[in-house]
Amino acid sequence: MSLFVESSDVLPLVDLEVAFPVGSLHDPAGKEGLAQLTGHLMRRGPRGLSQERFEDALAALGARASVEVSMRSTRVRATVLRRNLEPLLALVARMIWRPALRSADYAKLRRQAQASLTARLDDDQTLGALRFRRALFGSHPYGRTLGGTAASLARIDVDRVRGFYRRHIENGDFIVGIAGDVAERDARSLIEAHFPALGVCRRQDRKLRATRARRGRHVVIVDKPERTQTQLFIGTLGARTRDPKLFPLIVSNTAFGGTFSGPLMQEIRGVRGWSYGAYSRLLHSTQRDAWYMWTAPASEYSADCATLQLELLERWVERGVKLTELKFAQRYLINSHCFDRDTPSKRLEATMDVELLGIPRRYVDEHDRLIAGVTRAQANEATRARISPRDLTIVVVATAAEVASSFEALPGLASIEIVPFDGT
Amino acid sequence: MVAPQVLVERLNRGVSKRNARWTFVRDHEFGDALTLRRFRLGNGLTVLTLVDRSAPTVSYHTWFRVGSRHERPGKTGLAHLFEHLMFNETRDHPHGDFDRLLEGAGAEANAATWTDWTYYYENAPRDALPLLVELEADRMGNLVLRAPQVASEKEVVANERKLRVDDDIEGKALELLYATAFRRHPYGWPTIGWMEDIRAFDVRDCQRFYRTHYAPGNATVVVAGDFDEKKALGLIRDHYGGFPKTAAAKTVVQPKEPSQRAERVVQLRAPTPTEKILLGYQAPAFGDPDTPALVVANEVLFGGRSSRLHRVFCIEEEIALSVRGSISPFVDPGLYEMWIFVHEGKRRQDALGRLEQELRKLASDGPTRPELEKAINQLELSFLHSMETAGGKAEQIGFYETVAGDGSAVFDRLEAYRGVTAADVKRVVDKYLRPSRRTRVEIRRGGG
Repeated sequence: MSLFVESSDVLPLVDLEVAFPVGSLHDPAGKEGLAQLTGHLMRRGPRGLSQERFEDALAALGARASVEVSMRSTRVRATVLRRNLEPLLALVARMIWRPALRSADYAKLRRQAQASLTARLDDDQTLGALRFRRALFGSHPYGRTLGGTAASLARIDVDRVRGFYRRHIENGDFIVGIAGDVAERDARSLIEAHFPALGVCRRQDRKLRATRARRGRHVVIVDKPERTQTQLFIGTLGARTRDPKLFPLIVSNTAFGGTFSGPLMQEIRGVRGWSYGAYSRLLHSTQRDAWYMWTAPASEYSADCATLQLELLERWVERGVKLTELKFAQRYLINSHCFDRDTPSKRLEATMDVELLGIPRRYVDEHDRLIAGVTRAQANEATRARISPRDLTIVVVATAAEVASSFEALPGLASIEIVPFDGT
Repeated sequence: MVAPQVLVERLNRGVSKRNARWTFVRDHEFGDALTLRRFRLGNGLTVLTLVDRSAPTVSYHTWFRVGSRHERPGKTGLAHLFEHLMFNETRDHPHGDFDRLLEGAGAEANAATWTDWTYYYENAPRDALPLLVELEADRMGNLVLRAPQVASEKEVVANERKLRVDDDIEGKALELLYATAFRRHPYGWPTIGWMEDIRAFDVRDCQRFYRTHYAPGNATVVVAGDFDEKKALGLIRDHYGGFPKTAAAKTVVQPKEPSQRAERVVQLRAPTPTEKILLGYQAPAFGDPDTPALVVANEVLFGGRSSRLHRVFCIEEEIALSVRGSISPFVDPGLYEMWIFVHEGKRRQDALGRLEQELRKLASDGPTRPELEKAINQLELSFLHSMETAGGKAEQIGFYETVAGDGSAVFDRLEAYRGVTAADVKRVVDKYLRPSRRTRVEIRRGGG
């Protein structure tokens, strides 16, 4: 039975999540954005209720609902005042399994989606992050954006959305989670009363080719006028979820750039004041996802900051972390783990991820033991095996005329490319 | 739980120093199940405790009644710069120790500064409370300010300003809005400060600021979460009790902003693909009796997808990609901010005209009964979400204590929302949301 309940009567609130193992990786080539459009069209409400009346009904219950699409999942999330849980479940069930999927709503939704693509150009950090993934993964599906492109959205009609819905949502597997002020027995009977029968949820992970890092160091300058400051992403491939080196790499990365007191933040911000933030992140999925550093230095020393980051990176990979740094990272990860479970909805989320994304159960249940068990040799070996300082993607959002020549001087550079910030 | 008077009596046994003796002030019901208790240390430090064992965590907040309103022209941004400096060296801990010790304990630490306040917080596993008390007391009393650290933090803040204002269209527009709307009151200058002021600070500015504002009588400590109250109060007494007695800082009476009689309009050109309108209507202070009705009006206008303006602007007429509104939660009268992110191909003037139509409609007809119910339910939902974690509760208590003068008033506000009528909404919309009371920033495409 794919129903998960986290009961807590601390607040008269209930969170609901209905999750489907389908996401943007299921978008056909050239139709990027299809999964997200499907989720968002479904969110416009069920048959028999106009969008306006559906929104009124949700709001009157003291509820909010969203449909969030990621690479591998579509999650319908709702939160409601406890006293209105049952009518909310009925309303959400209608939205999911009897959606209107109206042509008129779709036309508006697509226009809105296209406008959103344009609007996000205002946000330099988002712009940098999207360009970084595209440059790192190239034509691999991991390089796609959830929202697609203006061209791909134009190729998706409402029938295509309805077909995607029928295949992956209406007839797809799903799991349900409820967290908050409801007893497990009550939650179960309410779900049985309002939702279709729950079966076993089979993940539908597409067989993806392995991700590959481009050889050498490649710079992409995303040229935007009037920048006084830059957004700098430097990274390469990281790890797979089921990589035996994942936990050693998590510990090693935390020691390097995962905390405020780590060397990356201290050297960039603490000593030099070059960037408000400086961190490194390790993502993982079925194939090797990204590892990257982020900083936001001023234009005049952006290339100096990049050079320093490259030196720190090389030092980290070659020399590894010290025993004191390793122990510190382990303490931090274990002690702060309580904040991953301090609310019922966070505890539920961890369980849902295990079921939906194929994260091994022991990663959650034995988190502290897995972290504590990492030795210095394992951490450093994992870093050397997975993080390549030679093969790097460097994306900088900046006014190109002000930074291009200084970035050309970065050590070991294989290529440098300038692209307009508002280009496709 | 031990009765607070008994607790205080036990804690004060054998304590001769007046500054280190506790006084129990009063307790307040905090929702159905919790109790908020107010204590005062002899040196003037107010401490609010909320024991809540729903998760094995504790949150420790220190709120100072100092923000950018306490600065003066030429020294803007000092409160915010100082917030950064508080993470540096102290007499007992070298630079870097503060973050290292807290992160090692699994704690998350940060701070925020705005117009009326600055606060520091740690969210930590429950066993880390002694460390939190020791480090916070240490930096309240023993901060070391040296030139290299001030220089380095000035550079960080300059970069933060570039990130949040100079290269950020919304940040830049908000700065322009407040600078145009407030001609006399300090709310007119940005909390992060003007760049030339940030560049000009020296160690003496910082030392003077520290001596003036960072004292027990100007602070409130909030402890929320899973902790032993007696042990916590004992620790606080041990670490803060040696600080000299200070009175609460004198209330700074700011120049009253003259009533606005005509709309002010400014243009901002920026490299953006879409045009935007930012409006700021002169709004009441957070503690003003009109504010709850205006918050409900905001919910009717902007609260989610069923709100009037989202429906008209984003769904029915596709004038805007998004709209949003919020009322500044300030001690003195602030602004009711409204954003319209105009759709490509639509005209700013049309969007503005449509907004005025909707505001007039709400002022003349008021909200419908279902709209009012929706708004209040949504506000209750937001309120409950803000109370989910120990950190969330501590933040709400600290904010209400500092801005409204009473940490327990957080539940009163929810009751005030429930008491708002359609006539109240009509009245406040008519009173506050007139074009003559607003400042408008028009964000246009193009170079600056």
